[in-house]
Amino acid sequence: MDFPSTQFVSSQTMATYEPIHQIGMWGENFKSISNPNISASVIVDVVNKLENESETTSHEMLASSSKHDQEASKPFDKIQRRLAQNREAARKSRLRKKAYVQQLENSRLKLIQLEQELERSRQQQGLYVGGGLDTGHLGISGAVNSGIAAFELGYERWMEERNKQICELRSALNAQISDIELRILVESGMSHYFELFRMKSSVAKADVFYVMSGKWKTSAERFFSWIGGFRPSELLKVLVPQIDPLTDQQILDVCNLKQSCQQAEDALSQGMEKLRETVSATLASDQMGQGIYVPQVAMAMEKLEALVRFVNQADHLRQQTLQQMSYILTTRQAARGLLALGEYIQRLQALSTLWANHPRKPA
Amino acid sequence: MAVAGGVRSRLHNFLEGADNGGGRRLVITDSKTSLAKLVVENAVIVFGRRGCCMCHVVNRLLLGHGVNPAVCEVDEEKEEAVLNELSIVNGGGIQFPAVFMGGKLFGGLDRVMSTHITGELVPILKEAGALWL
Repeated sequence: MDFPSTQFVSSQTMATYEPIHQIGMWGENFKSISNPNISASVIVDVVNKLENESETTSHEMLASSSKHDQEASKPFDKIQRRLAQNREAARKSRLRKKAYVQQLENSRLKLIQLEQELERSRQQQGLYVGGGLDTGHLGISGAVNSGIAAFELGYERWMEERNKQICELRSALNAQISDIELRILVESGMSHYFELFRMKSSVAKADVFYVMSGKWKTSAERFFSWIGGFRPSELLKVLVPQIDPLTDQQILDVCNLKQSCQQAEDALSQGMEKLRETVSATLASDQMGQGIYVPQVAMAMEKLEALVRFVNQADHLRQQTLQQMSYILTTRQAARGLLALGEYIQRLQALSTLWANHPRKPA
Repeated sequence: MAVAGGVRSRLHNFLEGADNGGGRRLVITDSKTSLAKLVVENAVIVFGRRGCCMCHVVNRLLLGHGVNPAVCEVDEEKEEAVLNELSIVNGGGIQFPAVFMGGKLFGGLDRVMSTHITGELVPILKEAGALWL
């Protein structure tokens, strides 16, 4: 009878000491890094190592403790396990954030160095007489970088929260909870998406090309990108079959919504085409060949400002579509829709990872 | 006030109509033009900067519903004056692009988009006399 408890104590001791040892390791890793261009893979490796070690530790701890209190009530066991998992997840998250911020600081220093070099070589060549445009350049790019950095951090947190919500929706739908409770989950799911649109609007002001490029998404998601995100009509096509069965009225309403989306998307796409034409025409509005193009570039930049409004309108369309679907569908259908949407994006992300790792035939 | 009239102007408008996303182009030739009159005379009229892409989007959306909106393209110099006058007509602040329906301010691209998605736009267009069906 004493055997299990002894095992429990020694595992616990092991668990207490290892994390401190790991944090020491972490610090050493950073001290030895002089190259600001620390590759992301190094950071990922360190974090993975920590994760693997801490997982094994917590599993041993839990295995022993469950052997120890087999007679203890099951719910208590589950709660303890849940708390331990939460603590682990929080710890991992903090460590990841720390690594990420460190990487950003290093990148930022490197960027400032590069910009200074660029400034110097530009002045030497004298090709582009920037006037007031280059002064304060470092200050502006600093603000842009911090806007992007803030967004990336926020997006990572947003994804974690979204994945958590997907799990909650899944178990809620399987557990047959009441419509009122389900409604709460649906509402928070929707608000969560609205939060993303707010974040995107904010970073678009700092750097609209960043949002347009979809750099913050995985490669497969980028493949489907339209003005900085998904095409609402495409998502409707994917999700509606997942929400079956629908009443006749619902089918009609959804069809109308899909058609309205397509019309709105077409109108925006045509507006974008017009913008491209305008910028292009402005850039080449004079007789080229003399190497002097400051006024044309400055005018074109003014036209380009409209791109921010396009991104905002596209997100506005996405938000409206989401809202409208929630009016058409019942609570249960809306929950299934949100779950399907979340899972669809997870699959796209898995596709991106698989693609990145699949062996390629030699050329 | 020069409003499209005569075969030649109509053809000219038709060719240029594609450029602004559709719609009949109205040009303000003098700043004394009564905008209030334009607003009242047209079931749907869109005011916007010349060459504005957002205006293009609004026009395409309205065109998609079978509406032929009057489009007033404002030059940069006249922009402030037009905005001021429209604000007086409306009794409040105006931003470009500004859509007037049935003699009243309807809103900007935001409102056109929202009502288009919710399906509210078509009844409003009918009420303003821009659509008959």
